[in-house]
Amino acid sequence: MIRQLEEHGDHRAARIVASLPTGRDDVLDPHAVDRLLVGVHTELQRLSEELRIGERLVHLLGPLLAAVRAAATPARPLRLVDVGCGLGYLIRWLAATHALGPDVELIGVDLDAALVGEAARLARAEGLHCRFVHGNAFDLPEAATVYVSTGVLHHFRGPALAEFFRAQASSPALAFCHYDIAATRLAPVGAWAFHRARMRHPLGRHDGVVSALRAHSDEALLRAAAAPGIRPLLYEPRGMSNPFCTTLRPVLGIRPHLEAPLRRALGRASRRLVGPEQLAEVVR
Amino acid sequence: MTPAAPLVTLGLVDAAFSGFRAYAGRDARIRKRAAIVRSALRGLAVGAVLLLAPAVTAGTVLLTADDPALAYAALAAGGAGYLRPLAVYATTVVLSLAAYFVLPFRVSTLAMVVGLGPLTLLRPLAIVAACLGALLNGGGFTSLLVGSVAGGAVLCVEPIVHRRWYASVVH
Repeated sequence: MIRQLEEHGDHRAARIVASLPTGRDDVLDPHAVDRLLVGVHTELQRLSEELRIGERLVHLLGPLLAAVRAAATPARPLRLVDVGCGLGYLIRWLAATHALGPDVELIGVDLDAALVGEAARLARAEGLHCRFVHGNAFDLPEAATVYVSTGVLHHFRGPALAEFFRAQASSPALAFCHYDIAATRLAPVGAWAFHRARMRHPLGRHDGVVSALRAHSDEALLRAAAAPGIRPLLYEPRGMSNPFCTTLRPVLGIRPHLEAPLRRALGRASRRLVGPEQLAEVVR
Repeated sequence: MTPAAPLVTLGLVDAAFSGFRAYAGRDARIRKRAAIVRSALRGLAVGAVLLLAPAVTAGTVLLTADDPALAYAALAAGGAGYLRPLAVYATTVVLSLAAYFVLPFRVSTLAMVVGLGPLTLLRPLAIVAACLGALLNGGGFTSLLVGSVAGGAVLCVEPIVHRRWYASVVH
């Protein structure tokens, strides 16, 4: 792993991995790695709390679910699935605040067993009505109504990004809403300062800056999200928002019949919601 | 008026915030108001003990001075100079905090990204500016000594509270 990181020119990451405890056969100690991931994600949650990620999501998910409720005949249960939920902060926050209403089932899914286990433990400890599943979010037995994520998209490189959106488009889901770091010139500098001030472990600090550098542009996200049967939209794109106020912004994909009710539910804020054709005008 | 009272107040308030910072990022629960208050009190307690160091230093300076009145005047002048940069820093923090808690999430993000995040990183520089202020205001070496000890004390609160109570994730 260290050689791989060195070959990619990420010497800092190689040094961080080299400092982690290993077993007799030079393989990373899995328990130490789990502890580290839980620790770093706990610190990461602090950033979500400080940047009010929950409120940001509800600002958009509230109207989106209102549009889904208005369009759904007959009414069906609403299921929100957080893809790559980590410690499940968003799902647990939504469960604690009841911000989306009692008719929305909240499920967090992650490929990392340690993080999912800790998310479930935290939810149990606070008596929150939500679920956490270890595995692939697109292999759940029950279909999601809306897929969401925060800070996940920049992990997908090349064709994997479009495949991620296509998997949701081909599912029975009515919409997706994925928040990720806004790709601006300020983002890497801001990420450095913010992670330096708030994160303690070098892994968290390094990951924050690298994530900002890997953030996808508005155009790339809209292009990738344009899957069959999906209307791709971007909320608060560059040029329509202050980069200091919008460190994360979402790309949405909705079934075309939901666009009009969503815009109605958003009211004046719908001006900030643009499709590929409007984004070209904003950039110009 | 002696600058000691506002300086001690600032030191104790900073210690309470340091206690919170030592705890922040260690507890992934959603509802944690009691734990936040406890961490601030821990910071306050550690800060109260550590701030005895500059008090003892100032007392020693006064007790060993040939002319205690002159030494007191120098310390008072240095304290006033020390206070000014810290007052500017504290005012900026208070305004950022007010913006963060009162304004909608977009502007609160601005307060966090431009204000509270970088201001945390700037704490050592604020101490350096305060020490310079003490010197420039005629406080002399004794004020610089007391100011440096006080600065070191407030900067030590967060790591001490962190190591003592929050070295690992809170369960």
